[in-house]
Amino acid sequence: MFGYYLQLALRNLRRNPGLTALMIGAVALGIAVCVMTLTMYHAMSGNPIWWKNDVLYAVTMDFWDPQQPNDEKKPELPPTQLTYRDAMAVYRSDIPARKVIMHKAVGILSVDGQALKPERVTTRVTTKDFFQMFDVPMQYGGTWTDAADFGPEPVMVLSRKMNEKLFGGANSVGKRIRWNDNEFRIVGVRDNWLPLPAFYDVNNGSLEDPEDVYIPFGWNVALELQSAGNTNGWKPEDVKNYQDFLGSEMTWIQMWVELPDRSAHDKFKAFIDNYAMEQKKAGRYQRPLNNRLTKPDEWLKVNDVVSNDDRILVGLAFAFLAVCLLNTVGLLLAKFLNNAPLTGVRRALGASRRQVFMQHLVEVGVISTIGALLGLALGGLLLMGLRALYTFDVQDAGGTQALAHVDMTSVVTALSLAFFATIAAGLYPAWRIGRIPPATYLKAQ
Amino acid sequence: MTAWNIRPIASALWRNRTGALLVAFQIAIGLAVLVNAVYVVKQRVELIGRPTGMDTDNMIWVASAGFTKNFDYDSSWREDLATLRGMPGVKAASLMSNIPLSGGGSSNGFQNRPGENIPPKEIVQGNNYDVDEQAVEALGIKLIAGRSFQASEIQPPSETFELSSQAIVTQAFAKELFPKETNFVGKTFYGGLSKPIVIVGVIDHMLGAWVGWDKLDHVVLFPRLKNGPTAIYLVRTEPGRRDSVMRDIEAKLGDSNPGRLLRWVRPFDYFIDQSYLDDRNMAIFLVSVTTALLAITALGIFGLATFNVSTRIRQIGTRRAVGARRMDIVRHFLVENWMVTTAGVVAGCGAALGIGYWISVKYELPRLDLYYLLGGVLTIWLIGLAAALQPARRASAISPAVASRTV
Repeated sequence: MFGYYLQLALRNLRRNPGLTALMIGAVALGIAVCVMTLTMYHAMSGNPIWWKNDVLYAVTMDFWDPQQPNDEKKPELPPTQLTYRDAMAVYRSDIPARKVIMHKAVGILSVDGQALKPERVTTRVTTKDFFQMFDVPMQYGGTWTDAADFGPEPVMVLSRKMNEKLFGGANSVGKRIRWNDNEFRIVGVRDNWLPLPAFYDVNNGSLEDPEDVYIPFGWNVALELQSAGNTNGWKPEDVKNYQDFLGSEMTWIQMWVELPDRSAHDKFKAFIDNYAMEQKKAGRYQRPLNNRLTKPDEWLKVNDVVSNDDRILVGLAFAFLAVCLLNTVGLLLAKFLNNAPLTGVRRALGASRRQVFMQHLVEVGVISTIGALLGLALGGLLLMGLRALYTFDVQDAGGTQALAHVDMTSVVTALSLAFFATIAAGLYPAWRIGRIPPATYLKAQ
Repeated sequence: MTAWNIRPIASALWRNRTGALLVAFQIAIGLAVLVNAVYVVKQRVELIGRPTGMDTDNMIWVASAGFTKNFDYDSSWREDLATLRGMPGVKAASLMSNIPLSGGGSSNGFQNRPGENIPPKEIVQGNNYDVDEQAVEALGIKLIAGRSFQASEIQPPSETFELSSQAIVTQAFAKELFPKETNFVGKTFYGGLSKPIVIVGVIDHMLGAWVGWDKLDHVVLFPRLKNGPTAIYLVRTEPGRRDSVMRDIEAKLGDSNPGRLLRWVRPFDYFIDQSYLDDRNMAIFLVSVTTALLAITALGIFGLATFNVSTRIRQIGTRRAVGARRMDIVRHFLVENWMVTTAGVVAGCGAALGIGYWISVKYELPRLDLYYLLGGVLTIWLIGLAAALQPARRASAISPAVASRTV
């Protein structure tokens, strides 16, 4: 029976090609815009570490100005980063299964005896758990030892991209390289990894590529590095040199911990609260006690990684899809009613309402399928156009990576959503046409 | 029977209301989206186009990074500045700590009297930049009072975080700091730890680092050289010579010193465009999606009208046979279509105002202007009319003889 319905559907579609083209075009356009917008939204707002959402926590502590919160629009939130002294103090706890303190820096990479021009690279100065905590894939080698963190030992993990640039993609573990004219030894090469958005540092360009170089945390003191991201303070302080800076109330360190279960969570929370209470006695932490352990999904939300613009875009995408669906319902209805005399004949010859309904539903299915395929192709084109809009500079395409790595799941989600919505839109016209009393149309013949 | 036949058209429409309701619904959404999209786009375009106070068209930024241990920053910037200032087509060159409108910079809280317990509301935020004596000329900003820095006042690069004791500030910043004054030159304000800073010059307008910041026009220039080992030079050229000077700079500075990397030579537009990239893209995106949405709505109107014509061929023929003119048939369909459009427009006005309210709260923007709504309604009416015109004219071409034929 299905084969016959399919045949009928195709014949009907050819009967008025203009109307058919209009319908398929509307479905395709609706699906294309939906696929594009939702993919974009997904890329910008997904939780890139959902599988560890229940064990990872961003650590924030409120030591800010007693007279006003860090962010007046969100007075309940502590600042997003920690001071060096607090980060170091809290890092000492051995409650977390894994823990990381880190910041962003910029350095110049050069290789002795290579004709290549020195490269300016974004660098993450971090403790070694970074890689295991965030499930960072490694292409060659591994991470450094605990002792290397504060030694600090001259060891480095390179990104795959930078390894390809400097060593042609060969296993470079053990090779020497210079970072700001200090010699480092490569211990690992990070494989392609693109957490979108970069949840671990929402402060400093969350849609940019991850850093190209990773070096042990202790190098910030050894080389007197400052953050290449935001450094914020609230208190007028007499900062004269780097030691003053380390002891100051300025925030520039990000901290994450991995707490495997509830009891570890509670214990660690008690530990930082306790630390803050101690500090209160020493005259710091004059705001009400407010330390937070925030899971990745919540972290992305409270930090407004999804901007208002993105929400408008999603609203727009759904408005667009709604218009396309209304349009499809209207056109299908018109088309089916146009063929009502034929349907009348089929009913008179014994087709049941159910059969007429099924026949028209098959027709809807054909339209949706063609529309979806066209829509997917068109959506791909639109995404390419969008990427062109965001590609700022061919040489240092930063945020564009977000759209270059569109993941299949979000495309499939958007596509199936639109496809089934179209089928659903066809239900009413198919049902309506089945309700037509055959006599009306037979009389008119 | 009046010439417009409102009642019979309405009752015929009501009998086949499903299709009409669907189209009216589309029109409602279309109007709501159109009005608000235009509103948001206009805000973005104004944001991107606001005056910067600087001679942006003729400005070039150059970054040089020293990376070897024995790199001599001091002689490096001296040489570079001398080279840049000596180049033909260059009006002025300056060493500056950050690039305005680039999204990167530094800001501080300032106060109009010394002391540590100033209420937070009286702390005035300002973008601060370290500049040298050619900065006012190189930025192309307009001094409206006081003077520029002199070469002897420029402090050497220093490792401390301390602020200078003199500053050139924007009028907007000075007014917020001293609301009751009109003459700001010679006034003293204070930075961290109550350090006094004397205003030596006032500029009428200049934008700072972050385009999304509402204190963007609060700019404070300090007479101090940027810290090494990375130098950022600002070069202002004679009008129209920017691109050729850029090529000359690349050639001259590219290999002049092996201890540093000439990171880039870029026009000011590069940074400004990048800062406004999201706003620009949002505008482009809204315009294209809204256009597509209106096009689809127009197709819906067209489809409905076509369908209405095709199911009524015999009735139209009959009307023609009993004396209706072609004009009457056209008018019938246009009026019918206008009713559908208007039903949609009425519903759409409510939706447009609702969404407009939500956006104005979300973005802290002024409330949606009713002129937008009026413009939107007129546009939708015109689109509706245009979309129904062809089917209506086709209907009017139906021959009266159809009435007497059996199909």
